[in-house]
Amino acid sequence: MDGAAWSSVGYLLSGMLIYGGIGWLIDRWTGHSALFLPIGLVVGIALALVLVFVRHGRSS
Amino acid sequence: MTADVQTLASESGCHLFSGCGFPSPGLNVFEFKPIFSIGAFDFTKPMLLALISMLLVIGFFWSAFAKPKMVPRGAQNVGELGYLFVRDNISRETIGKKGDPYVPFLFSIFFFVWVMNVMAIIPFAQFPATSRIAFPASIVGIVWVTYLVLGIKNQGFVGYFKNMMFPPGLPKAIYFLLAPIELLQGLITRPFTMAVRLFANMFAGHMLIVTFSVGAWYLLGFHIGALYSATSFIVVVVLTAFELMIQALQAYIITLLAASYISTSLEAEH
Repeated sequence: MDGAAWSSVGYLLSGMLIYGGIGWLIDRWTGHSALFLPIGLVVGIALALVLVFVRHGRSS
Repeated sequence: MTADVQTLASESGCHLFSGCGFPSPGLNVFEFKPIFSIGAFDFTKPMLLALISMLLVIGFFWSAFAKPKMVPRGAQNVGELGYLFVRDNISRETIGKKGDPYVPFLFSIFFFVWVMNVMAIIPFAQFPATSRIAFPASIVGIVWVTYLVLGIKNQGFVGYFKNMMFPPGLPKAIYFLLAPIELLQGLITRPFTMAVRLFANMFAGHMLIVTFSVGAWYLLGFHIGALYSATSFIVVVVLTAFELMIQALQAYIITLLAASYISTSLEAEH
């Protein structure tokens, strides 16, 4: 269903925003230019995919 | 030929080999001089189109349902067809029978958005009001308030956010990591993607049609350009037909998403 597709996109965006944002803040705090930001992005995507699986993958 | 093209062309008077470059349409296509202003408030063409769309929807369904007959005829027939489409294919499909009280709401969204979209290819209107982000955003704002209020009313404030943030069936430790994503998704990303989707589709569609229309106009002349101009014009015709489909589809999808958000507010996802 289309709703599932769009909520998946939303989850990926949310995950990247939250954990990418946290990574970016840690970068600023520790003075790195881009170390925790990419790590945060990847972690965010991974967690978002867990959620996509939990919400939409199991029902079928 | 769209109104935007006429403006572009008459301002530049510009064809191939007449010594001017291609007047490529940009964001200027989406900005209009105010029709009139009241103080700092400018009344522009998109607003006018939205108002006309509203009046069209109200007028049509008023005439369809003002004096309903047992055996529907004419406008009532079409109106009932539209109503049944929203009820059976959108509301009952996503929410179920419990969704019936929300059918009027979904019905209004569907037809208002659809008529605004169709304005993109109506001669002289030729602009989809929904390609200005404010229109999708305010519609989504109403949906946002609706599903939040319904969720809090049906599941309680704590219950609603608990159901939103903690999907069942996961080890406890991981909730700590997942809850912020769910919260952001439920409150911000969900309505945001919903508004952007409608806006971006209508924006891109209008841009395509304008670009090829300007191309057809620019290439026009008694030389080889005429061939390309004709091709460009055919593309405009094809794109217009394509847009007609996209307009209905986007109106359907925004309504479907509204229905599915209302459904998650009525009961927790399992």
